Amino acid sequence: MNEDRLVFTWRAMLLAFLLPLVLLWAMDLTMGGSLGSGTDSLPRFGNAILTSYTLGSLALLGNLFFYADSRQRPLAPLFGMLSAAVMGVVVTVLLLNQGPLLMEDNGSIRAQILYNVVHMFVSAGAILLALALSLGFTFSTITAQKPRRTVFEEE
Amino acid sequence: MNPMAQAALWFWLPAALVPLGVWISLSSKTSAGTNFGRFLAVVGMLGLVTSPWTVPESPSSAAGHLLGFILGPAALLLSGVYLVAFSGHVPVGRLPRSDRRLGVMAFFIGFVWFIGMHWWNLTPALEGEVNRYWLVFWPTFLLLLTCLLSGAALSLRVIGIRRATESNVMWFASGFVLLLILLAMVVDGRHVDADTFRYHLWLAGADLLGTAVGLSISILVFGTIIFLHERSLPEPKSITPPTDKEFAHVASIVAANLGGGENE
Repeated sequence: MNEDRLVFTWRAMLLAFLLPLVLLWAMDLTMGGSLGSGTDSLPRFGNAILTSYTLGSLALLGNLFFYADSRQRPLAPLFGMLSAAVMGVVVTVLLLNQGPLLMEDNGSIRAQILYNVVHMFVSAGAILLALALSLGFTFSTITAQKPRRTVFEEE
Repeated sequence: MNPMAQAALWFWLPAALVPLGVWISLSSKTSAGTNFGRFLAVVGMLGLVTSPWTVPESPSSAAGHLLGFILGPAALLLSGVYLVAFSGHVPVGRLPRSDRRLGVMAFFIGFVWFIGMHWWNLTPALEGEVNRYWLVFWPTFLLLLTCLLSGAALSLRVIGIRRATESNVMWFASGFVLLLILLAMVVDGRHVDADTFRYHLWLAGADLLGTAVGLSISILVFGTIIFLHERSLPEPKSITPPTDKEFAHVASIVAANLGGGENE
């Protein structure tokens, strides 16, 4: 597969991935909706970025232990990744302190942070289930077909 | 014990045990370590599921309540797909043909169970109100599922060879989930009305986009840290070239392993 074809394939796959979302958006607008949650989506988007960044950094920090095993246990990357995760926490607290910018229906900053973490667990559960089902479904459709015989032409 | 300490003990500790257990079971090189990790993860799960009873005053326990509700249908869906996939034409580890029917039935029951949780009386509810995390889980799951199935359908068609039939089945599945979302946007359920679903659907969209951006940034930071560390490492020390004796030893090993007579 040449490079142009590869780029086209990735673009087409991304478009196919986004197609249902665009259709739903169009349907919602047709039905008189205004993207449902409207401005409430912005704090959720911001909180999702900060929480997934912080939790993702912590998970990758754990992953660095495996990397350290093969590199005589250097401390610099561990400190670097720990600093990156701490920075995520600090930025979250600072932005939540700015008032209603990222606050959802929670009374305090601590409640909002705990809600963000639990919310991320629930979202991660939904994401993992959707990923597992779509992979399993794809595999099922492939294995449901009769086995094929590939005939090679004689050289 | 104050409420924060109770929540830490009965909700956050089990919540931490789940990823810790998974991590230990995946990274352990011994079967005892793997089993211990699995045991920790199961204990954590049980602690989370029982959190509505152990710490009912903590708002976070609603997530444990939801987990208890979705474990059944999710397990049915996953085991159904597993049975259907591995009772088909797979070269190794093929299950008996009868498992296919069982898989389809498990998938169907799990699916109807989830549908009943939205439109019927099975909605997870705490103290008379719909569990707030159900309104996070359900739209996120449906939205991502339809997008992933659509992406997989095109991947099969573009990357796969002679996979048009499979691709059409995937398009159909994606369209079916899309239709389900559209129905939920216009038809009220017993406990969740259409407007509430629409509101949470777009929150789920913002949530998925934010999660993708946040995770991408963390992976980028991780890669940058590794790159900077590797770049700062000194050049490895050169070793002396092999001696004649070592060359002769290598040549003897190569000669002993070279072969292939006329009979082969």
